[in-house]
Amino acid sequence: MSFWPYYGLKRGISTTSWPDGEEDSVGITPGRPRATQSLHPEESAAQCPTQALRVVKQQETSEHGVAVDFSRCIHCQRCRTGSHALPWSRDFAWGASTASAQPVLGSRFSASLHVLYIDAGACGACVNEVRLVDAPPYNLHRLGIFVTATPRNADVLLVAGPITDAMRTAILKAYAAMPAPKRVMGMGTCAINGGIFGESFACAGGLEKIIPVDLWLPGCPPPPLAIIHGLLSLVGRVAPASLEEQP
Amino acid sequence: MLYIIAFLLFAAGPILAFIPGRRIPALSAWSVMTSACILAGIQAVIAIAAGHNQSLVALQLPIIGPLDFVQTPLGGLLILITASVFAVALPFVTHDANLYPSARRGLFLTIVMLTLASMIGFFSAASIAAFIFCWELAALAIWGLITFETRQSKPVAAGLLTLALSELGSLAGLVSLLLLAAAAGSPQLEAIASAVPEMSPTLLMVAGLLAFFGFGMKAGIIPLNVWLPAAHGTAPRSTSPILSGATLNLGLYAFLRIDAPIALHLPQLGLIILSSGALTALIGIIYALVEKDMKRLLAQSSVENMGIATAGIGAGLTFAAYGHPFLGGASMVAGLYHMINHSTFKTLLFLGAGGIDASTGTHNLDELGGLMKRLPALGTFFLLGAFAIAALPPFNGFVSEWLLLESLLRVVEIPDIPVRITFALSGALLALTSGLALTCFIMLPGSALMGLPRSTHASAAKKAPLTVVIPMGLLALLALLLGLAATLILPVLSRLAAPLLGANPTASLVPDFFHIPSQVPLAVRHALDPIGANLGATFLPLRSLVVMHLNQGNAPVVYAMSTLLTFLVLIFMLATVWVLARGLRRRKHQVSRNTLWDAGLTRLRPEMTYTATTFAAPVRAVFQGFFHPLMEEKEERQGAFVLTRSYHQIITNISERLVIQPVIQSTMRIAALLAKMHKGRVNTYASYILIALVLVLIIVAGSP
Amino acid sequence: MSISIELQTVLHSNSALSWHEHSEQWLQIMCPAEQLPTLTRYLLEKEEAEFATLLVEELADQENLTVHYLFYLPATGKLIELKVAVKAGAELPAISDTVHAADWHEREAWDLYGLRFSGHPFLGDFVLHDDDWPEGIDPMRRQFDGSKRPDAHGTGAEWAPPRLLQEEGAIVFPIGPVWGDFNESGLWLLETPGEQIRYLHTRLFYKYRGVEKIAEGRTVDQGLLLAERFAGASAFAHGWAYCQALEQIGACQPPPRAEQLRMVFAELERIRHHAANIAEIAGSTALSVAKALAQGIVEDLLRLSARLCGHRYFFGVLTPGGLREDLNTDALEILHNNLPAIDQRMRALEQHLEESSSFLDRIEEMGTLDSQMAKTYGVVGPIARASGRNIDLRRNLPYGQYGFLAPDVPLEEEGDGYARLRVFFAESRISVKLILDLLAFLPDGPIHSPCPVREGHALAWVEAPSGATFHWLRCTADGLITRLRLGTPGFRNWHAFERAIEGAAFQDFPIILATWGLSVAENDR
Repeated sequence: MSFWPYYGLKRGISTTSWPDGEEDSVGITPGRPRATQSLHPEESAAQCPTQALRVVKQQETSEHGVAVDFSRCIHCQRCRTGSHALPWSRDFAWGASTASAQPVLGSRFSASLHVLYIDAGACGACVNEVRLVDAPPYNLHRLGIFVTATPRNADVLLVAGPITDAMRTAILKAYAAMPAPKRVMGMGTCAINGGIFGESFACAGGLEKIIPVDLWLPGCPPPPLAIIHGLLSLVGRVAPASLEEQP
Repeated sequence: MLYIIAFLLFAAGPILAFIPGRRIPALSAWSVMTSACILAGIQAVIAIAAGHNQSLVALQLPIIGPLDFVQTPLGGLLILITASVFAVALPFVTHDANLYPSARRGLFLTIVMLTLASMIGFFSAASIAAFIFCWELAALAIWGLITFETRQSKPVAAGLLTLALSELGSLAGLVSLLLLAAAAGSPQLEAIASAVPEMSPTLLMVAGLLAFFGFGMKAGIIPLNVWLPAAHGTAPRSTSPILSGATLNLGLYAFLRIDAPIALHLPQLGLIILSSGALTALIGIIYALVEKDMKRLLAQSSVENMGIATAGIGAGLTFAAYGHPFLGGASMVAGLYHMINHSTFKTLLFLGAGGIDASTGTHNLDELGGLMKRLPALGTFFLLGAFAIAALPPFNGFVSEWLLLESLLRVVEIPDIPVRITFALSGALLALTSGLALTCFIMLPGSALMGLPRSTHASAAKKAPLTVVIPMGLLALLALLLGLAATLILPVLSRLAAPLLGANPTASLVPDFFHIPSQVPLAVRHALDPIGANLGATFLPLRSLVVMHLNQGNAPVVYAMSTLLTFLVLIFMLATVWVLARGLRRRKHQVSRNTLWDAGLTRLRPEMTYTATTFAAPVRAVFQGFFHPLMEEKEERQGAFVLTRSYHQIITNISERLVIQPVIQSTMRIAALLAKMHKGRVNTYASYILIALVLVLIIVAGSP
Repeated sequence: MSISIELQTVLHSNSALSWHEHSEQWLQIMCPAEQLPTLTRYLLEKEEAEFATLLVEELADQENLTVHYLFYLPATGKLIELKVAVKAGAELPAISDTVHAADWHEREAWDLYGLRFSGHPFLGDFVLHDDDWPEGIDPMRRQFDGSKRPDAHGTGAEWAPPRLLQEEGAIVFPIGPVWGDFNESGLWLLETPGEQIRYLHTRLFYKYRGVEKIAEGRTVDQGLLLAERFAGASAFAHGWAYCQALEQIGACQPPPRAEQLRMVFAELERIRHHAANIAEIAGSTALSVAKALAQGIVEDLLRLSARLCGHRYFFGVLTPGGLREDLNTDALEILHNNLPAIDQRMRALEQHLEESSSFLDRIEEMGTLDSQMAKTYGVVGPIARASGRNIDLRRNLPYGQYGFLAPDVPLEEEGDGYARLRVFFAESRISVKLILDLLAFLPDGPIHSPCPVREGHALAWVEAPSGATFHWLRCTADGLITRLRLGTPGFRNWHAFERAIEGAAFQDFPIILATWGLSVAENDR
């Protein structure tokens, strides 16, 4: 005799109400540095091991600041504490359109979007976060987004990882096999530019080197809500964010 | 008489083939033989149309007795089937015969023609002498066909097995015939049939069983069916269509002819025929599923189809024996129809197998694959044949199998519980058989035609010979027509079955489209009118296939199915979808063509695609206990490394395992015992004689 | 020196061997190539040594390659290193006939260094796929430029799957590289006559990022980022091992508070890792409520981690010499208050799962790795402990403060899916208890001590959630990495996985895979 339905019901509803409601539980996102005015921008920017922070000098006001390039940030937290710390946001709406982005998929897909996930060298963190998107706390299905195992049914190709060489063929084949209209989403800093792995003999270092990309999702790893934000902004249900922040 | 001309031409064709040279003699031999087939076919049609018996030859031979031949409508049907099968197979037979030197070519065609001639003789036999003479002649000719390519040793073994089992069967049949003839006091089959009511039930049972299992051997009825795949698997590829499409009907006809009158008085015999048929069908299809040799697979499937036809005949005889000649007619007609259908699609499939062999050089399914692209016409017809044999509408296999299953359900009319149980079990076996047949005939074209070519044989396939493709096309068309125009064929069969059952079930079997037969009272008919019972009667062509039976209290039980109507609806639906799809597509979407999605592999390799073996693995697993496979396992290691691992599985046919091997073993044991007595010393033999003499004297002295 | 008398006798009696003690714990034996098989066999069979990892080094000033075979003695906690010098392109005798755990290591060394191991039957098409990489490239060699794609790359050359099975009509059934919903990339080639899997060939390294190569020439600071991010599901364990290596080189001892907090994080990561595995196991058997409950635990642990240290996966928490940031009293309070509830949910889930007979039917006697096979393949971590191998680096080679606070080691004998599930649950329970104990006795004080950068090399290890991981680090005085070897548990356990699948049916494959809970990222590096 199985009591599983009872155990499930007993647990109650744990699903977030985002994007309809607000979500500000602690720990749903690693957060990321905000661009800011600073008296010592050089010191702040020097803390960054991946050159995500850039010193900005504005001529007219002679005010100095730090700009953040989210496509490089890997949440190493070095600029989070200490004397030259930057303020950190606790947001997760990180999906940002690329320069070559096609128009949003529109209302026809807003309640029926099929996603094919391809792991092109992702570390376990991205894999784990993408798995949690399907879990009760986030529940992708309530938004009409479904995961498929074949590109024939897919509207969105979701690629994580620094695009390893051995997965190049698979990505190309999957992209070719997808019916139009199709959108591509690069997930994680690795997919944008190779992240900490960069471009090397084994990694292309960026999805755009292989196929056209419509949406970047920075983050190392992007938390589940960021992934949902990215998917929703491909459809046009939420507004995309920007990859750069100026002070 | 057309038969006489036909027989002369049968002889003339092969003689032409003895003339050296390639093209002209072969072509002339083929045209002569084909005209002979056509003549025989015309004569058979005349016989069917005549609707009554007509004596052909009546010879009075010394010792043997009368050697009489008579033309009957049912015999005419079988002759028509046989002649048609030969006619469509002859191009390929001649094509392959042409590969031999001219002397062998002539011999080969002689045997082929002898087979046909002896079969025509058999289907016209009126006396037991003629019956047995033609039977033996056909058996010899078939043995000649199977062993014709004696280069390998296997055909000889298969031929000997066929011959041995055939002789065993003929012996049983002969005993049965002699028993009946002695009891009836006449060597004429008709006289025997009419004398049946006066005979003792025991005698009838013995004779009936001997005839059924003896003659049934030729149709592959259990337990003596192991010869069939062995023989058909090794016979020259061009003769397989003939062997399977035509010669198997010999067995069906033989036991039908002898047993039908008996079974009308002995319902148990009908039940035995029904259950043996159902069991044969199941065993046949199960073994078909584990074969990977296309010819052996098709041969096993022939066992299955013969089983279905036998079950139909058995059910028909049982119904008739219990006083339901109309229901019996439905079953019997289903059985006969299935026999026709089997001859159609099995000839088609064997021609396809032969054609594939001719263009690839192999008939091992594991080495084929991807042939649809290389042999599109052959592949399409082969696929249609597979649809037909898998009983998919609108092809012919569906009509007969559906009719049979439906008629079996009407067993509720018979109050006898054991009969109901037998019918229910047989029906279940047949239903399981149908399911497995569908699996099997997805597997066959799937592994041969689809996927990637799994060997160089398949990837370098030559063009299929036209001598195969054109006959296949004709047969595919025939399979479709027999499925669509079932309502035209069924009344004919019903008329042919009438003498066997004592009633012509046509009217109740196939009424006019939604036209209620006259047995139904007027009140009931009027009651049905408002719900559209007569709808379409005026404008729809042909008649639908309706099985109607009157229950007690005049409540009609109607099973309606119109294959033609189904087909029309199907065409309409497909056309609508197509039109809609075109309309949608024209709006703005484009069709893009891409390669197969192979999960991102660099290249999908042939060894990654399913073979017949892997496809049938679940069936093997389910019927594990049935197959009792012997598994040999070997592993080669180097330290902790496993280098190779080999598995070899041996599956022995269940009838061989349970019946033939024990018989052989006990025979060997008895032989060994006897051998012990033979010491080879004169003294010992002298003492045996002495003992025997003493024993005889004692017995004689003791008797009054 | 506390090595056994027998080993001392062997060393003394063999004039070809020379040895010295690198440290009190670490015995280095210079071994001629031809002695390798005998000596390794001796270590394995007589000393009951465990194979740790194999690594090749090409020192910049040498024509020769140095091959290190690292073993440890679980009973005494000693490290034994066999050091073999070999000319580049030369041959070494393969030891994987007997030390089968070295099988994949040898294949890897052949692919990446061009070092041939004579007697190894399956060299080739391993890290570098034959259908992708041209022949004759040894990416780990110094002369190879790791910064860009070599020419003639991605050729799509003909590659045939390996076939070991000889059976009529058998096929190679491919799973992957793109398969399932959210699965890691890899190719599994099932040799089968249909239904039953007779043999499995695991073809990984679709996710090969060349971490060991790209680390070379980077700073040790960048190296930490790599160590954390090459296998994010056990980021803290790998980061910790890396920091330990740096601390050994810099002769730095992190303060006790930092050591204890590191243990807290490591155990937290272990619980989350195991809970995620349990979710996958439940998911593979279509037990969606159980999967949801386990995923709820995973998510709550991730949120808890982010509250403690800012990152859900502990990225950026570690720093050589200690931790980047202390935990304040609030954070400790939160941990102390939340953990028992999570433990309670895990226990309830375990109980519910054990009451589901249909679930147990699907994991019991599934994917069995018997103790003999586990020993042959030298599996590590929960997989090993589910197959009766009583090995845990936290106890056998203690690091951090595990020497003082050794955790219990759950042990199961069956080696099947259910045994692994029980080990995952038991280890989570033990980890919860360990964290609560650690919090109760958390000393005050600094959380960081300076860790100077020096020239040198070190071997460090951590019992990662999935098993023993060994990091070998060699760096220059400027703090540039010259060799980073990541001897991960995934690399060890994937090797044995193919033997556990034999005899299973197709539909059992995802279930068995889930019960093993292996990370491809950790293997591929």
